[in-house]
Amino acid sequence: MEPTGEAGAAGVQVKDDLAEKCQKLFLEFLEEFQDKTGEILYLPDAQELIRPERNTLVVSFTNIEHFNQQLATTIQEEYYRVYPFLCRAVRHFARDHGTIPPSKEFYVAFSEFPTRHKIRELTTSKIGTLTRISGQVVRTHPVHPELVSGTFLCLDCQSVIKDVEQQFTYTQPSICKNPVCANRKRFMLDTNKSRFVDFQKVRIQETQAELPRGSIPRSVEVVLRAEAVESAQAGDRCDFTGALIVVPDVAALAMAGTRAETSSRVTGKEGFDADGLQGLKALGVRELSYRLAFLACHVAPTNPRFGGKALRPEDQTAESVKNQMTVQEWEKVFEMSQDKNLYHNLCSSLFPTIHGNDEIKRGILLMLFGGVAKTTMEGTSLRGDVNVCIVGDPSTSKSQFLKHVEDFAPRAVYTSGKASSAAGLTAAVVKDEESHEFVIEAGALMLADNGVCCIDEFDKMDLKDQVAIHEAMEQQTISITKAGVKATLNARTSILAAANPIDGRYNRAKSLKQNVNMSAPIMSRFDLFFILVDECNEVTDYAIARRIVDLHARNVESVERVYSTDEIQRYILFARQFQPKITSEAQEFLVDQYKRLRQRDSSGGTAKSAWRITVRQLESMVRLSEAMARLYCSDEVQPKHVKESFRLLNKSIIRVDSPDINFDQDQEDNEDLNGQNEVMEDQHPPQNGTNGTNGHAMEAEQAGKEEPAAAKATLRMSFAEYRRVSNLLVLHMQKLEQLDEESSLKKSELINWYLGEMEGEIDSEAELVAKKSLIEKVIHRLVHYDHVIIELTSTGLKKGGEGGDEPVVEEDPYLVVNPNYILED
Amino acid sequence: MPSAQDWINNPLGVVEGIFEQNNSNPEWDKKVVDFFKEKLAEKEAQSWVPSLNDVQPHYLKPNSLVKFRCMVQDMFDPEFYMGVYEVVDQTTKSKNLKCGKYKDVTECVQVDFHSRNNLPSERQTFYCVPVPGESPWVKECYARSSQARVIPSTSYTPNRQKRSYDEDDDMDTQSQRPGDTNSGRKGSADSRSNGDCKRQETEAPSSSGSSSASTPSCASPLDLYYPLPGEQGPACLVKVYEEWESFKLNDTLEVYGILSVDPALSGVGEEKEVSSLLDPEESMETAEEQRAHSPPPSLVPRLHMLHAVPLKHNNPLLPPAASEEVAAGVLSELGATRSELLAFLTHVLLGDALAAEYLLLHLISNVYARRDILPLGKFALNLSGCPQTSPYTEHLHRIIQQLVPASYRLPMSLQNMNSMRMVPRKDHVANRLVSGALQLAGNTSLFLDETQLEQGQLDTAGVRNITALGNLISWQKVDYDFNYHQMEFPCNINVLVASEGRSLLPSDCQVQLQPQVSPPSVEEYLSGVQAALAPSQINKFRLYLTVARTLEYSITEEVTKAVEEDFVEMRKDDPQSMTAEDLHRMLVVSRLLSISLGQTTLPTDVWMKTKHMELLRMSRIQQQKSVNGHEP
Repeated sequence: MEPTGEAGAAGVQVKDDLAEKCQKLFLEFLEEFQDKTGEILYLPDAQELIRPERNTLVVSFTNIEHFNQQLATTIQEEYYRVYPFLCRAVRHFARDHGTIPPSKEFYVAFSEFPTRHKIRELTTSKIGTLTRISGQVVRTHPVHPELVSGTFLCLDCQSVIKDVEQQFTYTQPSICKNPVCANRKRFMLDTNKSRFVDFQKVRIQETQAELPRGSIPRSVEVVLRAEAVESAQAGDRCDFTGALIVVPDVAALAMAGTRAETSSRVTGKEGFDADGLQGLKALGVRELSYRLAFLACHVAPTNPRFGGKALRPEDQTAESVKNQMTVQEWEKVFEMSQDKNLYHNLCSSLFPTIHGNDEIKRGILLMLFGGVAKTTMEGTSLRGDVNVCIVGDPSTSKSQFLKHVEDFAPRAVYTSGKASSAAGLTAAVVKDEESHEFVIEAGALMLADNGVCCIDEFDKMDLKDQVAIHEAMEQQTISITKAGVKATLNARTSILAAANPIDGRYNRAKSLKQNVNMSAPIMSRFDLFFILVDECNEVTDYAIARRIVDLHARNVESVERVYSTDEIQRYILFARQFQPKITSEAQEFLVDQYKRLRQRDSSGGTAKSAWRITVRQLESMVRLSEAMARLYCSDEVQPKHVKESFRLLNKSIIRVDSPDINFDQDQEDNEDLNGQNEVMEDQHPPQNGTNGTNGHAMEAEQAGKEEPAAAKATLRMSFAEYRRVSNLLVLHMQKLEQLDEESSLKKSELINWYLGEMEGEIDSEAELVAKKSLIEKVIHRLVHYDHVIIELTSTGLKKGGEGGDEPVVEEDPYLVVNPNYILED
Repeated sequence: MPSAQDWINNPLGVVEGIFEQNNSNPEWDKKVVDFFKEKLAEKEAQSWVPSLNDVQPHYLKPNSLVKFRCMVQDMFDPEFYMGVYEVVDQTTKSKNLKCGKYKDVTECVQVDFHSRNNLPSERQTFYCVPVPGESPWVKECYARSSQARVIPSTSYTPNRQKRSYDEDDDMDTQSQRPGDTNSGRKGSADSRSNGDCKRQETEAPSSSGSSSASTPSCASPLDLYYPLPGEQGPACLVKVYEEWESFKLNDTLEVYGILSVDPALSGVGEEKEVSSLLDPEESMETAEEQRAHSPPPSLVPRLHMLHAVPLKHNNPLLPPAASEEVAAGVLSELGATRSELLAFLTHVLLGDALAAEYLLLHLISNVYARRDILPLGKFALNLSGCPQTSPYTEHLHRIIQQLVPASYRLPMSLQNMNSMRMVPRKDHVANRLVSGALQLAGNTSLFLDETQLEQGQLDTAGVRNITALGNLISWQKVDYDFNYHQMEFPCNINVLVASEGRSLLPSDCQVQLQPQVSPPSVEEYLSGVQAALAPSQINKFRLYLTVARTLEYSITEEVTKAVEEDFVEMRKDDPQSMTAEDLHRMLVVSRLLSISLGQTTLPTDVWMKTKHMELLRMSRIQQQKSVNGHEP
């Protein structure tokens, strides 16, 4: 470890065989290495070096590995030792192929170094070897020249001493080269004849992902030289290739003389304290600690940086992501991609402490995967990010969803609409206190670039501010014009918003739009709207109670998930690299669905409606389908993906707006309904009833529910009522099934039981008849459309003891609850 | 016992002895740690070691073994040092291996820096501050139990003439924060600490000007990074040699280590900025960093850790060694203590028994687990209806301070909200975590006094502070500001909000105070209540609160069923009045109620009592609402 550190300084005098050999081999590599077309790969680059501003040759480390594995190993292991020799090789190479000024220094930089280390892993054993680390730049220092080779003037005899190599510390000649002059101390640096190189210090810090919880992120100073300076800005996440070195150099410490020299010049202003200290130092008291620094030769951004030129997404491929994973990690990802139940497992693992609300979970999951961003031929970019909004009553775990996402997603920012102005959310121009220059300060949206911005209490935000982020939602940029600064900044973020209904509680009588304090343009930018209502029914209450009591009853820290957060994160990262293309079948299917929606929209007599099916919904559908395809790591969007995205889009809106259930409509195809449609249909139920000829079927919680049989327009009930009745029935049946595995109910029994329950509400015979037909419809619907209840009509499933009822099976089948059906709120 | 004390007075000698015995055996450092661990495990051995908390550093012998009760405020980057180095004797030219562990500097010998035998090693530095908001009784109690005889070190005095701490004659008495000095607290330390605090205020690091005259080299006084304003006591740079990954930020530790106060360590005033043009490496650290990372050792002594005990609680009455027996004693008379404490709190809360119940529950609450993002067991209480005219809240806090080991009262005045630094922030210039009022050790009581709030404008900082407080209450975490991003640090702080009406901050539970008595002078009344309390009694309370908090708890299967059914039943009657959140709260209340009674499972009668208490509480709030409604 240490010998290598010394070698740099000592190498001038002592002949280093290994290093010389390395230099030779490296020169050979530069001369001989060819690309696929047979050209010498580094020749054009070397010729470029003639230009005065260039001095660094970037060499791919992978190429060296291909050329000569042994050379690569030597460079890696003994990097700090051989580095000056490699630079010399570059110099020779450049000199051979062009005319260069003799005094010019050349440097080599290594890119594409395979392994990457965390900052936390930089230990003494890494000193001097070539490594790559990544981190966030938190501080940059100004660039200044560093002396590489000094020319000194002896103050005693005026002789000039040339080419005194400098290694980190200011090194004077040990003795004047004039044999008669015994001067050891009095030299003057001739700056005009000395050579300098650009030098910059930056500090990088561990990224959050690498940080153990509860620890302060480590940081390390990085020294950049030559062309690497100014390539990293504060806030960037960069990869640095180079070596860990010890500062101050151990060798330099030994030269107490030089230190005393420099300090004596300035003690005047330091006061007596410094004098005392110096005195102690002179006595030989030495500190025994050193700091580490990272000497980097090459800088590459790990992430697109804000404000600057961004990496194209295609720079990162599935392959490169895979390469960054360990074997086990990759196996897990592969295993996950093969999981048949992936969709469900991911949802439940992502929000283990939130009960129910499966659709919202799905929506958020798809948001995390995101659609594919595209650029049209005209250069307009179409966003791929999915925006989701949750509207709901207070205390319905909206904030929990947001917090979860913030906690989970790598680049997520949580902010509250109430607390942040538009400036806090977007970007602000502020005056720098030190330099008095205007600088752009990133807001939450930009901080979440390529991530998720969670905005709580979206509706509390000023309308003005909502407009400000409008641009960000559609254009994925933020532009500011203020104080003479004009800038367009990237803000490619998905937005997950939560909003409270206007009156505190969601009013089912009103449409979504009337319930939320949001402008129509903003509303239309959300791909998915979910509505959470604090509904009251026994089943949900039981489930909630169970969940909460469970939470408190046991003292276990962990929550059960199929996949750990890390695994999901990795999976999403990997899956996001896919750029699924829409297949022709899926295309047709999409067009089909959209056409249906449009038709419904225009023919539905909904001219007054605020929500029209527009291209936006089509775009949303495309995005969601793409996200769906990504979820399955599929390269193409298939009809099944479209189907799910369509279903979700459909559901997202209607949960509450589910209007009255109409049993009088005949509509076989129940897949082609659209939620937005329902929003306004809800307001005009009579219209619906009379207009029943066209496909105005209703969509509700458990997919379409139309009753093909009836014709009476009066046969309707509110959705909530329907839910209540169906839950009642299911609960009753489940209870019976629990009591006795063998028992099952006949349809007629169930109806009778129900009517018995309702006895108190029935006054006349006519009512009884009406109720009876209604409950029949409900059961029919539950059986045929919602598939909550299964009719046991086939003989094979019949219980032996009740075989006698066989003849009436068709009219009065046994009913059992679908074992896959889970009661939800 | 001079020989036995050797390991305290000259631990480095012991270390060197072991090093030489185990010539180049890599196991030697383990033996050193074991040796000290063994020594400290001896009966009462821990009390022989002088504590930095009680004694000012310059009264302590340099390079002696000391202990320090502290909280980890910041973690620096790892540092490299010479674990083993070779020295050359000038006269004989003989070479000798020396051990560089547990010390900062080597004395007056020629070190051969090029020797192949040198062994660089890594160590970690923590910046530790005394436990923020530690109650005076805790300090006194620890100081009293210490048996260390401290002889002022004469050799060290000349150097400290210009430092601010050294004129303290009375520093062995513990002083309070400035806000506390005008209290009616009884105790001999009061009069002196009053003066002490004044002095402290002018010379405290955060104030400016005073020290610049004496130390011309530092333009502005040093920030010692105390989380709370007006804190006192030495901060320490603790050098950790083993298993530093096991320590987390904001951990409370008792560190045993070797004190190092060599003046050569000061980074302030050294000639580091010079010749940066020629010699960039010299300025590897900027002046700001130097100041932040190498403060003068007279202010911030270095401590080389030999052994550290994480403190589960900071109650000196329950020493870790004897915790079993003491806890058993507390448990045996738990019921009696509880009712006495309840009676006491009832008096304190002006005769309101219900509020006293809730306050008691609040005082034993504790985040015992985190499910996902949900902290479980927290019980932030909002005590509304506090009389605003009298300084009642201040007195209330003082009484709570008497009961808990650490607390802090934060008057939520507009000015405080707008100007106070609550969220710790990373200063990238100095590469240092700048502390804030919310960087507190676990189980600290944070008393937010909203009665101090007045109408006015909150600026950006104010809004940020309010948000931070809200996050702390709801999620028990603080988002430290790292400039380019925020980083979440979980915490465990008991937040009590005293307000006139309903607090603007969220809370787990709001109790409307209904005073039964209205004494003419609250001050006199409360001091009367306190005076009636024997010191042994108050110690019993302190023990009770600490022990109850640590009790294990679970819910049986039957009770689970009953609770579920209860919930559904209640929702049937009125879904609006019983939400999932209410159930959540009721379960927390019943848990706290059970453990306050010493029950480790939830009995049905406690569940019934919980329901009853909640009902009473809710009706009070309803009542309050209707009262307010009548007022124009």
